[in-house]
Amino acid sequence: MELHFQLVLAFLLLSPCFIQTRRIRGVSMSYRRLYRERKSFLCMDGSRLIPFVQVNDDYCDCTDGSDEPGTAACPNGRFYCMNLGFRPHYIPSSRVNDGICDCCDGSDEFSSRMQCPDKCRMLGQKERRELEETMKAVNKGLLLKKQLIEEGALVWQEKQEQLKQLQKMAEDLKIKLEDHRRRKLKAEAEKEHLQKAVMPDPNSVEGQGERPGQAPHGGRPRVDQGSVFHSREKEGKAEIQEQHDPANTSPHENPVIREAQSAVDSAVAELQKVEEAHDSVQMEISELQEKLENDYGPEREFVFLLSRCVQMTVSEYMYTLCPFSQVTQKNSAGLEVMLGKWSGWLGPPDSPYRQMKYDEGEACWQGPKRSTLSQG
Amino acid sequence: MNARLQDLLAKTTSHFHLNEMGLLFGLCVSLLLGAAWAVDRGNFKTCNQSAFCKRQRALKPGQSPYRALLDTLELSDSRLTLQLINDNNKVHLLLELYRLQGNITRVKINELKPLKPRFEVPDVLMGDPPTEALSVLSKDDNGLVLSLGVENQRLIVSARPFRLDIMEGPEVLLSLNSRGLLAFEHLRLRKDTQADQEGAEVKENIDGAEQQQDEEEKAEGVGNDKEEDGLWEETFKTHTDSKPNGPTSVSLDFSLPGVEHVYGIPEHADSLKLKTTDGGEPYRLYNLDVFQYELYNPMALYGAVPVMLAHNTQRTMGIFWLNAAETWVDISSNTAGKTVFGKMLDFVQGSSETPQTDVRWISESGIIDVFIMLGPKPSDVFTQYASLTGTQSFPPLSGLAYHQCRWNYNDQDDVKAVDQGFDQHDIPCDFIWLDIEHTDGKRYFTWDPHKFPQPKEMLQGIKDKRRKMVAIVDPHIKVDSAYKIHNEIRDRNFYVKNKDGGDYEGWCWPGNSGYPDFSNPEMRAWWASMFAYDQYEGSMENLYTWNDMNEPSVFNGPEVTMYKDAVHGNWEHRDLHNLYGLYVQMATAEGQIQRSGGTERPFVLTRAFFAGSQRYGAVWTGDNAAEWDHLKISIPMCLSLGLVGISLCGADVGGFFKSPSTELLVRWYQTGAYQPFFRAHAHLDTPRREPWLFGPENTAIIREAVRQRYALLPYWYQQFYQAHKTGQPVMRPLWVEYPKDTTTFTIDDEFLIGRDLLIHPVTEEGARGVTAYLPGLGEVWYDVHTFQKHNGAQNLYIPVTMSSIPVFQRGGSIIPRKVRVRRSSECMENDPYTLFVALSPQRVAEGELYVDDGHTFNFQTKKEFIHRSLTFVNNMLTSRNLCPESNFSTESWIEKVLILGASKPSRVTLQMDGKETSLEFEFDASMSVLTLRKPGMNVGADWTVVLQ
Repeated sequence: MELHFQLVLAFLLLSPCFIQTRRIRGVSMSYRRLYRERKSFLCMDGSRLIPFVQVNDDYCDCTDGSDEPGTAACPNGRFYCMNLGFRPHYIPSSRVNDGICDCCDGSDEFSSRMQCPDKCRMLGQKERRELEETMKAVNKGLLLKKQLIEEGALVWQEKQEQLKQLQKMAEDLKIKLEDHRRRKLKAEAEKEHLQKAVMPDPNSVEGQGERPGQAPHGGRPRVDQGSVFHSREKEGKAEIQEQHDPANTSPHENPVIREAQSAVDSAVAELQKVEEAHDSVQMEISELQEKLENDYGPEREFVFLLSRCVQMTVSEYMYTLCPFSQVTQKNSAGLEVMLGKWSGWLGPPDSPYRQMKYDEGEACWQGPKRSTLSQG
Repeated sequence: MNARLQDLLAKTTSHFHLNEMGLLFGLCVSLLLGAAWAVDRGNFKTCNQSAFCKRQRALKPGQSPYRALLDTLELSDSRLTLQLINDNNKVHLLLELYRLQGNITRVKINELKPLKPRFEVPDVLMGDPPTEALSVLSKDDNGLVLSLGVENQRLIVSARPFRLDIMEGPEVLLSLNSRGLLAFEHLRLRKDTQADQEGAEVKENIDGAEQQQDEEEKAEGVGNDKEEDGLWEETFKTHTDSKPNGPTSVSLDFSLPGVEHVYGIPEHADSLKLKTTDGGEPYRLYNLDVFQYELYNPMALYGAVPVMLAHNTQRTMGIFWLNAAETWVDISSNTAGKTVFGKMLDFVQGSSETPQTDVRWISESGIIDVFIMLGPKPSDVFTQYASLTGTQSFPPLSGLAYHQCRWNYNDQDDVKAVDQGFDQHDIPCDFIWLDIEHTDGKRYFTWDPHKFPQPKEMLQGIKDKRRKMVAIVDPHIKVDSAYKIHNEIRDRNFYVKNKDGGDYEGWCWPGNSGYPDFSNPEMRAWWASMFAYDQYEGSMENLYTWNDMNEPSVFNGPEVTMYKDAVHGNWEHRDLHNLYGLYVQMATAEGQIQRSGGTERPFVLTRAFFAGSQRYGAVWTGDNAAEWDHLKISIPMCLSLGLVGISLCGADVGGFFKSPSTELLVRWYQTGAYQPFFRAHAHLDTPRREPWLFGPENTAIIREAVRQRYALLPYWYQQFYQAHKTGQPVMRPLWVEYPKDTTTFTIDDEFLIGRDLLIHPVTEEGARGVTAYLPGLGEVWYDVHTFQKHNGAQNLYIPVTMSSIPVFQRGGSIIPRKVRVRRSSECMENDPYTLFVALSPQRVAEGELYVDDGHTFNFQTKKEFIHRSLTFVNNMLTSRNLCPESNFSTESWIEKVLILGASKPSRVTLQMDGKETSLEFEFDASMSVLTLRKPGMNVGADWTVVLQ
């Protein structure tokens, strides 16, 4: 009897500290006040009041699992890994004592055969080291970004300059174009005038229709030659001399008309050249403008890519990506396939510049058109 | 390229690498041209295209030319022999009759003096079946009567014409040759092939059938000349079978009076109840790699078990036709085609003849060796069949858990990511599988050096999660002189030979391949030794094996398999074709046992199988498709396998070919969670479909299905222990437990697991409800999710949502669960049990609990297990030791007891070790569920809980 009493006493003396550690197992600091030793415990969803001895007693009483934060008894419970020295976190209670170390402090395997060493300090150190490295890398990256923005700014400036130049060229060409149009009209008018002079009865619509800008009829009086000569006198000696050449004097090849005609011809040719030049400059301008209208990021940090292409070889294929332009694939036989033209950014909303989309590529056999996603 | 073409390229023609061979390219092209979504039937023979089947099937019922020579009768204790003579050609046969222990009769018929021995199937029977004494009751000129000992059962041998009848009292249970279709093509010498002689030969080709045939041919005006080619050579498509032994087929008919329902003879993608084959094709048994198989037809598939069960309300019987050659089974019935009205009319008019099913077996070679299992109960037939071919191997517990497979997990990182995916989404998983791409160029026992450079590191990572892996090892061996396995097999002369004596070579995944002769025991021993840890580099104890393509599949062979005139030692491939797959799995399982020094249980999955394959591991239903009908057919396909001993069966969850809709995938997980072998698998060309890729809602539903499986693992494990001990199927048709309830005879959209769980999975697209048949007049069933009680013998409509899996527990049963579901089954090893006691209307219940270490043979060799009987009678729940000599201890305890259908007690006490303690309890009056809180006894202990 005496001995028995002593044992009970010893148990009573020892039990509080035992209970203390058991009861709070698996509970975070912020929730700990809810698990303070009382007479009873209210399930956190309020569904039930249970005697406090049933907290962490390895039997699930609360439907929300709140009575067993430190055991695997509840299917929906969670266990708090304190992980001193590292980041604390929750694990599903099914991972408590399952023979696999989940918490870095090993606290989840308190009663399993698995010996889990405390790795938190090591992990914490490692994480801090990595964080430092990351910070370094970020700084490096920011520096690089700054450089690239600067580089991009240069490219941007260059492109702007180019645009200005092109626009100036276009303006010049426009003036020239108008000038040439005038000249052409003038030459045509003169020729018409001459034709009327040589052949006052311009009945033959047919002939004019047949060979516009050329002398359609013969039998023109020589008198008219003088007037042509006169009118052209100011224009240049070479022409004048030509006009004087009477090598061909058949009525159909009236030299004066012919001269007028060739003046028209050259005016047309000149005009065409200038028109072409103007068109191509305009095209370049709009291309450049389109390019400059692209989204290059808030600080135009992607402008530098404009002037670069990258290549990558995957087994037998070589891929060439020219940012903001196109993606192509070339196989070892040299066959090139266009995989897509620049379409736009396609990253997720939080980092839209993660991904580029190139579409409208060459169509697959019996399939859709090829397209490419490029991920950064 | 469209998916069908890709699939075709990927699997059948497998591969344009074949281009190198012009002939094969032709094959590819022809296959491509014939590309339809379903199977290309033209690749496989009909009965008419298989010469022996055509010859035999031309034979119609009539007077048999066989006569028993009663004066040749010899009777020893257990064996009776008698000669039969074919009156048409005077060839003598030898009939042997045995009475085997357990109410089995064996009938063997062989040639009395064959020109050379005929093949008798080895390695399938567990040994020489123990016999019992036969005695002759009477004998006269017409025949003799033998006593079968049991229940007034007699075997009557009629002499002229020869026939056998098994009688019980006045009733005929089964007759042999009653329709005169016994036909035994005797071995003969080849004669000159002049036209007239050939004609004469033809007249003799089916022994005993000449007269009838002649008559019929005259009547039908069918010529008997060139039609009967194929005796000494036969060509199918571009393949010629040289048939050096000429015609060798055998056939016998069985009549089953009073029987309208026959089952079994897997593997076919067909209903559980076998159909009559009149006017159609017979059921075919010939192990074949059938690309994109079609449903609801009798075509042969990957495996063959020549066992048929016949059932009526009075009796269940079985016929085991032990022959490993190509086999066809015809079924006809005198009631088939009759409408219900017609049957009623017969009944009213009293003119009804007894319903009868007639069955005819035809095999290409070998002998007639039939085991007639006389039941009478379904469980007796299972016991009888198990006594012949053995029982289901007892798988490691983890083998019953969830398996994640795909063709292919790309590399080690992929495997790691999938493993982590299961943890992230809190879905349990025990196995991750690797298909053929893990190897170095399809050289089995090797690893791709780029994708799997550190297999042990990978396996260790998986082991740290207490999970396991399976790697595929197929039986075709790449012919490559730089490949160790090939060199050894070639040097040891272990390859199957072609008809000219050289090593047989065919095309399979690696290109040109040799096929080891697994019928050679030395070859099997060598193969087994290749699984030793020091032989199979990169393997570890948590790596298990999958044998695919073991029909064997030969891409450029006839019917995608091996030439029948290929040679295995003394025998032709023709003789043992259906046995090849069994041998592959046998040798592989043996290898796994040996590598652990004989202590660890193996886990080997096979696609091809034969009678007896249940002893070596798991079987799956091959390359199915992501279609609702394929989900539905998984039930009858596995039920049919269970009936013939192969309990560890499953279908690819999600479907192998094509991509399942989310709804189909979810429903398939829910169904698979309640089928024995639970593995998700997918074709290379399909999008990824790990269970968390379909949105959080579907992930949650799949998680719940898998968790239900894990919670029930104790019950599954106990069922497989029973299957291993007794041969009873785990997944059962309803009629097995309710043999007198005719409603159950055709049900194959629901099933039982053991006796106590009834599952009616949702297998219809867009289903809002299912109608389940709850059997058992006067019984009750409890919905396992709501504990709602329903009466038996009714069709119950159950409304369903996407998360519903209709499952019922039988009133009168006790089912143990582990409700603390964890990452893998191994993690749950020491977890406590919850007992679900479902009371019958008589307020009784019984169940069992089996526990062992989950993976070794110690349960067998050292009796290290706990096997308890749990009974609830007179308000007392008691746990008793079923095997006092067993010894095993576990930390597991009983955390909770739920008693369904209970009334409220005033007090609950636990009696254990002579002490009585009070238990806390709760009572839910609305559902009549009594919950005992934390009784706490160890599962190995004796105890009684008393409700007062």
